[in-house]
Amino acid sequence: MPIGKRKQVRDLEIGMDIIVCIKQVIAGNQVKFDPHTHRLVRSVEFSRINPFDACALAMAVRLKKQYSGKITAITMGPEISEAVLWEALAIGANRGVLLTDSRFATSDTLATSYVLGMGVRKIGHYDLILCGMRTTDSGTAQVGPQLAEELDIPHVIGVERLEKREDLFLVERTCDEFRETLEVASPALFIVSSKVGMSTPSLIEIEETFARCKIERWNLEDLGGDPSKVGRDGSCTWVEELIPTTQQKFCAFIEGEPRQQAKSLLAKLLEKNLLS
Amino acid sequence: MDFALSQKQKQIRQMVREFAKTELAPIAREIDEEGRFPWEVIEKMGSLNFFGMQAPKQYHGAEIDSISYCLVIEEISRVCAAMGLTIAVHNSVVVYPLSQFGSDEQKAKYLPPLAAGEKIGAFCLTEPNAGSDAMSIESTAIGEGDSYIVNANKIFVTNGGVADTLIIFTSVHPGDVKRGFSAILVERGTPGFEVGLLENNCGMRANPVSSIVLTDCQVPRANLLGQEGDGFKIAMTALDTGRIGIAAQAVGIGQGALDASLKYAKERIQFRVPLARHQAIQMMLADMGTMVEAARLLTLQAAYVKDQKGELSCSSAMAKLYAGRMASEVASMGVQIHGGYGYSKDYAIERYFRDARATEIYEGTNEIQQMVIARELLKREEE
Repeated sequence: MPIGKRKQVRDLEIGMDIIVCIKQVIAGNQVKFDPHTHRLVRSVEFSRINPFDACALAMAVRLKKQYSGKITAITMGPEISEAVLWEALAIGANRGVLLTDSRFATSDTLATSYVLGMGVRKIGHYDLILCGMRTTDSGTAQVGPQLAEELDIPHVIGVERLEKREDLFLVERTCDEFRETLEVASPALFIVSSKVGMSTPSLIEIEETFARCKIERWNLEDLGGDPSKVGRDGSCTWVEELIPTTQQKFCAFIEGEPRQQAKSLLAKLLEKNLLS
Repeated sequence: MDFALSQKQKQIRQMVREFAKTELAPIAREIDEEGRFPWEVIEKMGSLNFFGMQAPKQYHGAEIDSISYCLVIEEISRVCAAMGLTIAVHNSVVVYPLSQFGSDEQKAKYLPPLAAGEKIGAFCLTEPNAGSDAMSIESTAIGEGDSYIVNANKIFVTNGGVADTLIIFTSVHPGDVKRGFSAILVERGTPGFEVGLLENNCGMRANPVSSIVLTDCQVPRANLLGQEGDGFKIAMTALDTGRIGIAAQAVGIGQGALDASLKYAKERIQFRVPLARHQAIQMMLADMGTMVEAARLLTLQAAYVKDQKGELSCSSAMAKLYAGRMASEVASMGVQIHGGYGYSKDYAIERYFRDARATEIYEGTNEIQQMVIARELLKREEE
């Protein structure tokens, strides 16, 4: 059980400072890859917020309503990732931060966690960080826990409910057949269960967001980061190759009377060793 | 000239696309078959402000631009044209003229519940003997003290079966419609107000299109929209705007038919290869895609003209004329690509085919659009 150090004690009245980490992904059926670079092709048209991160954001919005406070949405990515920050702002974030620098490209999860960590430090004060369970593209589920390590704060995976008790968080998650309730010191990082669900912004909320907000952009210099810890240099893993898998289906008709058909089917299954 | 949508417009389109996919796609076929108005999604659509898209903010509207408005109607209609119709009519020919011509008292009373989707609006112009020829209406509103006594027989009223707030076009001078043509707000439940039978229409079946009968219905004079005799101006202003919405709806239907056809062409195997590999099918798909895009550009251009407060009649008539024809033709090609399955209720394409046809008829038939366009073109030549 992750038990954190009590770093900050803050009054409930002040509300919660929440940071939500989000990632831009390509809508499910629009994933294309470049056969030459072996990388995913990112396009603005089909860009969307990673649905798992949308759940984290939905929980943040709920907490903001309950305790008051402020939500900062943060993402690392190329310029086109701006779109998902606007989406986050429309759903209820107060501030959108884009960590963008050509040197961040090809960062693996470790380098990404480093960059996010720098971003979180630059944001300054926070009570909790919320992340999604995983992403729909690479799906390693590593960035959340690694970010917690990078920041030296406790983390809990699969949080379904969260309550604030003075300077502690009371969090609930389902673990195997049990419901587990944990007490965690603030600040902490929580990886939100996808059971939480998403929320949809209304037209009025979108209108107001664009009238009121702007996106902040920070590069490596703004973050004061170490160039050797980002991008390919800062990564421990590299994508060697990315090729789409194909599934083939074969269909065979078994002829004859039902009894004969059953016998033939049984023989075929035994032959392929599928009944042992 | 910039053809790119703004970040905000993209955000709106994406939100609506998600909504349509998760909330409307699962019920679109069923509500069409049952001819059922889906109250279960109306509340949600209200909370997302789909019923007050361009109403002023002070009356709880979203005041989105007209391009965004078209994107919303298109995305909804792409999945469920009948719901696209519900909100297009509610927003453009009820909420919009009320915002433009209503008194402060009328706006304060009627706009907030309409914008929230708590009340649904309807526009009642057509009568058994007056459709394209609006001046032939026979309904009357006779002034009597502080009231009008309204008698009207309105037919083909979109949203009629569920509408709470209706704009009734009538004449305050029987025998002199030209002078007496007026718009009066009537609420459902007023004594003498009656919803007639639902129309058994070929398409848009989830929309409760009905007749509305008013018999000696006593309506306060305060419900007169604008002045006596303003009715024609109000109707035409509403329809100029409304046509952009219907054009956007037709674009949505065309896009939906194209989506379904692309999917089917990739799945269906004939002569050992998917349909999409046959050039005859590719040519149809290419034409469909081109026509959808052309209609979309005309529609968004009309929306742009509206936001720039330019001369709207011709642009919106051109958009509606072309988009309506496009929707019918594209849906028909879609049926052709689907072959026998396209003629069956098992595939959505037949619904698009039925729904598309209405866009060539309501809010001004193709022929009325042609009259409007020709009149404008000839006027220009004289200058």
